[in-house]
Amino acid sequence: MTEVTITGMNSITYPHLEVWNWLVAMYLFLGGLSAGILIMSAIANLRKWPDSASGPHCEKGVMFAPFILAFGMLFIFLDLERKTNIFWFYLTLQPFSPMSWGAWGIMIIIPVSFLYALSTAPPESRHNLRFGVLIKLSDMMWPHMKRLAMISFGLGIFLGIYTGVLLSNMLARPLWNSPILPVLFLTSASSTGAAFLIIVARRAAVKLFYTKLDIWLIFAEIVIIVLFFYGQYNSSVSSKASIMPFFTLSHEFFFYFFAVFLMAVLLPLALVMKLIEMREDHADVLSEATIFRMNLSAVMVLTGGLIIRLALIYAGQLVKFM
Amino acid sequence: MSKYVMVIDQRRCIGCMACIVACKAENDVPEEHFRTRVIQEVEGEFPKLRMELRSELCNHCDNPPCVYNCPTGASYKDKENGMVLLKKNRCVGCKACIASCPYDARYIDPRHGYADKCTFCSHRVAKGKEPACVQTCIGRSRIFGDIEDPESEVSLLLREHHHEVLKPAAGTEPNVYYINRILKG
Repeated sequence: MTEVTITGMNSITYPHLEVWNWLVAMYLFLGGLSAGILIMSAIANLRKWPDSASGPHCEKGVMFAPFILAFGMLFIFLDLERKTNIFWFYLTLQPFSPMSWGAWGIMIIIPVSFLYALSTAPPESRHNLRFGVLIKLSDMMWPHMKRLAMISFGLGIFLGIYTGVLLSNMLARPLWNSPILPVLFLTSASSTGAAFLIIVARRAAVKLFYTKLDIWLIFAEIVIIVLFFYGQYNSSVSSKASIMPFFTLSHEFFFYFFAVFLMAVLLPLALVMKLIEMREDHADVLSEATIFRMNLSAVMVLTGGLIIRLALIYAGQLVKFM
Repeated sequence: MSKYVMVIDQRRCIGCMACIVACKAENDVPEEHFRTRVIQEVEGEFPKLRMELRSELCNHCDNPPCVYNCPTGASYKDKENGMVLLKKNRCVGCKACIASCPYDARYIDPRHGYADKCTFCSHRVAKGKEPACVQTCIGRSRIFGDIEDPESEVSLLLREHHHEVLKPAAGTEPNVYYINRILKG
């Protein structure tokens, strides 16, 4: 029997830590989503397509990446307690702080991904950019599209991993302190990126290309999630205790159980829908029903990606290093 | 160069909580927040019970995760005396230091938004005084001093007594030592 009485416990750490909330989860989700869009669009634009020798195949989706990332930054900005001090992020580089690397990284990724997006605008639709300066910039970037795609691929990988490292670096929170977490976040980011591009892509070939990619990514994500819980269960007492909220069907922990339950339904269902999609014969123009099915499974993947981050952010603060 | 540490002799703590009050008064700690706490832990089955009164505070670690995770350099380890301190004007209130501390020693000052914690009363130490909690400790349970000085009280105590630190497996190398802790595990 152990009875503990604490005099002088900080309200922020009692009964459990409550420092990061849904704002951080949204930041991680949107950061991951933009990372996924960059990775996936780069893959699409770097591969050889049978129907054309060169040219962009993802000109619509990639334009969203810098704006989604900037929107994600808004959430982390809102989470800061001293917003007017934000300039301090850029007056130093702390080599051991993932947040410092992230702050600098995002400052590079936003303009580079914007240039990459401009480079993918085909000459015939460049007038849609409206502003003369953007059209000029697009003209300048057009010859460098492949090179920018390669750089964006690397930056996307960095961003996807960073969102996981931000949490896995926290030794004090055993649920987060796992080397699998950055891998899970990168895979999930890539999967949500592919799902997003399925929704915004117009051409049947592109939609089917991302559907094919997403099948592997969702499969990998499910395996990594299982391995993550398995690894935590077989690790230290703290790590084992940290996953218990996900497997305890009590009033207090119901949301964590429900999150795992939802992921166990959403991701496999999206996977099955995509597999069915691949088995069917598709014409160059997809039917409305097919597009609906594709978009529905993509929305499931996006919802799953958000649930993973929300659940991990909240559950990670329930159990501390013992 | 000095390296300040605190020794907490648990045989001498009477749980009067004067350290908590002294700390709050000295450092203008906001309501609902504390830089030090006292944990009363009773273990065993009646009648074989053992009680531990354990004062906890920032451990001023040699390998401080709060410092490594700080993105702006607001949290730093003073090379002159080994204390983990804060440049409050640099803090953005991102809370990475709070999430990374295994000892839950930090809090956000709700009045100003910056992260804060025990500083070993560095402002008093600079004037040659002891931290407020040490000075007020009626049972002399808290002892503060320079571990680099072999003749200091902390050096003598640590040489003569078995001592432990909290959560050694975390690898943070704390500088708050406990004498007569209930052995865990």
